[in-house]
Amino acid sequence: MTPLLEAHGVERSFQIGPKAVQALAPVSLTVSACEFLMITGPSGSGKSTLLNLLSGLDRPTRGDVLFKGQSLFSRKEEQRVHIRNSCFGFIFQTPHLLPDKTILENIGLPFHYGEAADSDDAWSRCQDLLEYVGLSPLAERYPNTLSGGEMQRVVFARALVREPEVIFADEPTGSLDGDNSRRLLELLREQAENGRTIIMVSHDDEALSYGTTTLRLDKFKAG
Amino acid sequence: MLHHQRLLDPMDAWSSLRRRPLRSLLSSLGIGIGVAALVAMLSISEGAKQKAFAKIISLGVNTLRVEQQNTGARLGRKSVANLSQGLTLDDADSVSSWLGDRGTVAVYGRKDNVLVTGSVAKSLTVLGVSHQWFEAERLTLKWGRSFTENEQRSQANYCVVGSEAAAKLRISGNAALNVNNYPVTVIGVLAPRGRLLTEGTGLSSLDFDNLVIMPISSFPFAEKAAGRILLDGLVVSLNTEKESAILESGEQIREILRQNHRGVIDFQMVIALNLLREARESQQLFSLVMGSIAGLSLLVGGIGVMNVMLANISEQTREIGLRMAVGASRARIVSLYLWNSILLTVTGAVWGVAGGLVLAVIVQNYAGWDVAFSILSLVVAPGSALVAGLIFGLHPAMRAASLDPAIALRDA
Repeated sequence: MTPLLEAHGVERSFQIGPKAVQALAPVSLTVSACEFLMITGPSGSGKSTLLNLLSGLDRPTRGDVLFKGQSLFSRKEEQRVHIRNSCFGFIFQTPHLLPDKTILENIGLPFHYGEAADSDDAWSRCQDLLEYVGLSPLAERYPNTLSGGEMQRVVFARALVREPEVIFADEPTGSLDGDNSRRLLELLREQAENGRTIIMVSHDDEALSYGTTTLRLDKFKAG
Repeated sequence: MLHHQRLLDPMDAWSSLRRRPLRSLLSSLGIGIGVAALVAMLSISEGAKQKAFAKIISLGVNTLRVEQQNTGARLGRKSVANLSQGLTLDDADSVSSWLGDRGTVAVYGRKDNVLVTGSVAKSLTVLGVSHQWFEAERLTLKWGRSFTENEQRSQANYCVVGSEAAAKLRISGNAALNVNNYPVTVIGVLAPRGRLLTEGTGLSSLDFDNLVIMPISSFPFAEKAAGRILLDGLVVSLNTEKESAILESGEQIREILRQNHRGVIDFQMVIALNLLREARESQQLFSLVMGSIAGLSLLVGGIGVMNVMLANISEQTREIGLRMAVGASRARIVSLYLWNSILLTVTGAVWGVAGGLVLAVIVQNYAGWDVAFSILSLVVAPGSALVAGLIFGLHPAMRAASLDPAIALRDA
């Protein structure tokens, strides 16, 4: 069976002035469907960089990433954009929401792009997800009226709205307290149990226990 | 909540601009000032153009007007009078002979502030004209007729009255008038025509509606020198509208008169076509100057829009990264920020058109300039603003689209 995601010797360095600074030493890995992969390691080991490369948000200096057996970076830009829209969902450490849109509109943001969805279906999907994360009464409120935990659940709902195959989560519990962290991790595990692949960056031991696989990165060494 | 995707970018752009209302307002006002300047300039320019055309139409496109200037004979200066008596019927005959069937020559003498008495007495301008004058001035009659060549020759004591003069004198039908103790019979009343638009031409003003017009042969105020009737002017109406033919005829007639007057230029000739040319030249200069000012205003407004856009993009880096992460293509990011720019310029254009119209009206009322609003100006000005918005919005939009999503999300 073809792995869902593969990384072959991906590394990333940034040019800062005349000097090339390595952000990620070469890493190879495979991720299967339904896997809950935890990426951990010390600060500066390139966890978030690896996540960005796996999700196609960034391009490796060397190496390649394969999604369903096909190179992500040999595809056209528009195809990568399409994959991000329809196959991937994102949760960031800081809950990124559009301040001038309601909670429901923020959840529906992925429907602004990619394949057009039936308006009623999209609306209904957003409401279902809002209910799923327990925020139905807040549908018409704006992000600045929500707590950090509530905002992160909105982001989680948005990540699910296009029913993606993979959810990329970059330290999603980093800005949350214990209860909100556990609540979000439970929701992620539930998604993994329901057949979605989760790739999450964390250095929180409690969070790591939710994963089915752990990849530890050392500074400039693949773990 | 969820709309068709194509409508989402302008709606998102509008929400984004509303997030910083003061900044957006000031930026759109910058464009508005440019548009207002452009609308006002085009309105003033259009007004000047319409005024110039009205003057030319009033004077007659194919009409040459020759007016007597003070002559030696009239001023009693013998040294000049020995050379030229001023405009006389001989001049009209010379011009008419040269012209042949290519046009008609009409003559007139004039006396202002003459007491004309009918059922009431009024002070009016009285003209003594040749019978061709009505045709040369393209006049029509409200009722009655003008006098014939025979009546002119026989010194008939008839007259035609202007429409307002007829009303003032309470004329109905063939009334008898007394023109400075000279009895005349009214045989016609002119249809309303208004004034001859002579402003800026050097010609005497003439109000067709307030005239009493008599045959030159029976004009009681005709001045004479050496037995010749001195005229106040000639009106030459040409049978062509060809520009070169009209100008050439003008030069020939000027030369004939100069020779008749033994080299003394004691007359003034006005060719409406020359006025048209001068009006065009001054309008072009005016348009160039005002257009440059308006263009500069739009340029400054456009730079203002670009500045605001760059500031917005700098503040919205994370938002751009987020949109890219969830599936926005670079083209959609360009579209989103171009819509920002378009909305700023369109709202600016709305302020600008309204402001420009108000400005034009103020100029009209306080500076006394003629203004005219044309659909063209109301399209060109906002159109220019839109183009400026697109040009100045393109760079920030491209810059937003060139952001690396991973870096945009991290740098926020």
